[in-house]
Amino acid sequence: MRKFLFAVVVFLGGVVLPGFARDAGAAISLEKCTLCHGKPEFRKLLVDGAIRDLFVTGDSLKGSVHEKKGCTDCHFDVNEIPHRERPKRVTCTHCHYKGNREGAPQSDNVLAYFDSAHGKAIAAGNAKAPLCQDCHGSHQILKVKNPESKVSRFKVAETCGRCHMEIYAKYKTSIHGVALSKGIADAPSCTGCHGEHRIYAHTDPKSTVYPTRVSEQCSKCHASVAIMSKFGIETEQVATYNESFHGVASKFGSRTVANCASCHGVHDIRPPDDPLSTVNPRNIPKTCGKCHPGANANFAVGKIHVDAKKKESGIIYWTATFFKYLTICTMLALIVHIFLDMYGRTRRLRGER
Amino acid sequence: MAEKDQRIADGEAVEKEIEAALAERLSGLPSEQADAVRDKIRRRVQEEVERELRIRAASDRKEAREKEKQVEEGEKFVRFNRNFRFQHMVMFTSVILLIITGMPLKFPDFVLSRFVIGFWGGIQNSTIVHRIGAGMLIYFMVHHFLYTVLTRDGRRDFVLMIPGLKDARDIALNVRHFLGKTSERPRFGRFSYIEKFDYWAVYWGCVIMIGSGLFLWFETDVMQFLPKYAIDMAHEMHSDEALLATLAIVIWHFYNVHFNPDRFPGTLLWWHGRLTEHEMKEEHPLEYEEIMARRAGKPPEVAGQ
Repeated sequence: MRKFLFAVVVFLGGVVLPGFARDAGAAISLEKCTLCHGKPEFRKLLVDGAIRDLFVTGDSLKGSVHEKKGCTDCHFDVNEIPHRERPKRVTCTHCHYKGNREGAPQSDNVLAYFDSAHGKAIAAGNAKAPLCQDCHGSHQILKVKNPESKVSRFKVAETCGRCHMEIYAKYKTSIHGVALSKGIADAPSCTGCHGEHRIYAHTDPKSTVYPTRVSEQCSKCHASVAIMSKFGIETEQVATYNESFHGVASKFGSRTVANCASCHGVHDIRPPDDPLSTVNPRNIPKTCGKCHPGANANFAVGKIHVDAKKKESGIIYWTATFFKYLTICTMLALIVHIFLDMYGRTRRLRGER
Repeated sequence: MAEKDQRIADGEAVEKEIEAALAERLSGLPSEQADAVRDKIRRRVQEEVERELRIRAASDRKEAREKEKQVEEGEKFVRFNRNFRFQHMVMFTSVILLIITGMPLKFPDFVLSRFVIGFWGGIQNSTIVHRIGAGMLIYFMVHHFLYTVLTRDGRRDFVLMIPGLKDARDIALNVRHFLGKTSERPRFGRFSYIEKFDYWAVYWGCVIMIGSGLFLWFETDVMQFLPKYAIDMAHEMHSDEALLATLAIVIWHFYNVHFNPDRFPGTLLWWHGRLTEHEMKEEHPLEYEEIMARRAGKPPEVAGQ
């Protein structure tokens, strides 16, 4: 009996205690860790002469989403203090997966990341490709909504720019970058167009910026009167593009036909009155000339996003109107003639005159 | 009988000639070998002559049958000559190609559009097919223009195609006839007002479509001289006239030549170009009378008008 009770206690202890023990263990380990890591001068001189700062205190996680976690919750390969080897890079998937019981958000983002251009590069052995902590930070991970977060709307471009420097430089002076730096939250940052975890190369059909999907991506904001009216930008550009040959061919899967970015630029989009803009009338011959060799200044004479249904389109509107009434009148006359013919035949079939 | 004798005599003459040629050719060979070769050749020639005779007999029978048929149905009148039929075939082939590759671009959201473009293997290919169709239509236009200018039939038909007062009267009369106000039907000449409308509609359509189409095809070259809005105008014309032409063909032309109870499901006039005497009297009485009058050596009473 005693033996049995002992066995039950050990079993229950094995089930319940780790739950309690974790916090206690973490607290202990934090104290133990800061024995060395808590010294501000605690650092390591690397082979290449660089210095790796190893200073960590109990405050390092304070305010972050992992505030309540301890060192070994993430650095779980440290099981003796002092550790003999350098701990491995933290594996976020330990907690961050759908169905986890650690209290991490229930999200499949990690799977999306593995499928993305960045995840694929890591899998292919590219040491420069980013892992979770390269974008989200290591100890000071904050929620996206927190403006101080490295992946917040206003800061994410800077984060991406740490690797994509040239693109960041272009973006920063573009209309979207400038608007964002002025604090306009409607302006898209990198993730606004490229997506967050699901970032693919623009040559990958899954990408949100794949040639045939660019217009769809831009129209998310540019077709919205609610957003565009704030800035006095017309929303008809989307509809007129979709009706143009460029838009239709793109819809049918042409990857060579012009999409929004082909003319307006990609990261360096600027308003048309900016002399550096690709759609500034003075730059139009060059921009159109990318696909239409020999394009000249005539390409800029007349509205580009022309809508034949609007009176402002002038001669194009009148052409459309002429053909509209020509078609209606002609077809009406022809159809009336057909019905009269059928009516006459019916009468004669009935034996009438 | 005399014809048959002639044919036999022909055959004999041919055989004699062959014998002579053979004798000359085989003179150097030993007699056994020469006999074998001669035998072989003779058999082959005989086979060929027999086959030729069989073919001739068949064509004779066919001719006889047609003559018999002609007696039954009356005389056949050639309405469209071979040249004109060829033009029509080129035109409808090209127009069908143009419509099925062009309409999806006007209605990209229509469910069939994606399928039709996919049928050609994507937009890159369908635009090439559209240009092939365009090339055929341009060829047709040039061909028809030369036909109108250079051939007698072409010149005559062009003049007869010009609308006149009679056509207005015919329309009014026909409408009254449809409504049952009168039992009198308009008596058409070679071309009724319906056919004249079709002809001039195609003329107008070709000019607009080819003109604006060339603008769109060679947009960069055109914009060396004209502003961009000229291209936009051409685009609008091309798109709108395409719809009008398609509707006119599918509703009007198809009703008149296919769905109309007199013709359903369509005649082979576009293929053989002939009308029977009955059809001629029914549909083109004035032309019929004119032909009859010309045959009788009398001046036609109501030529054209």
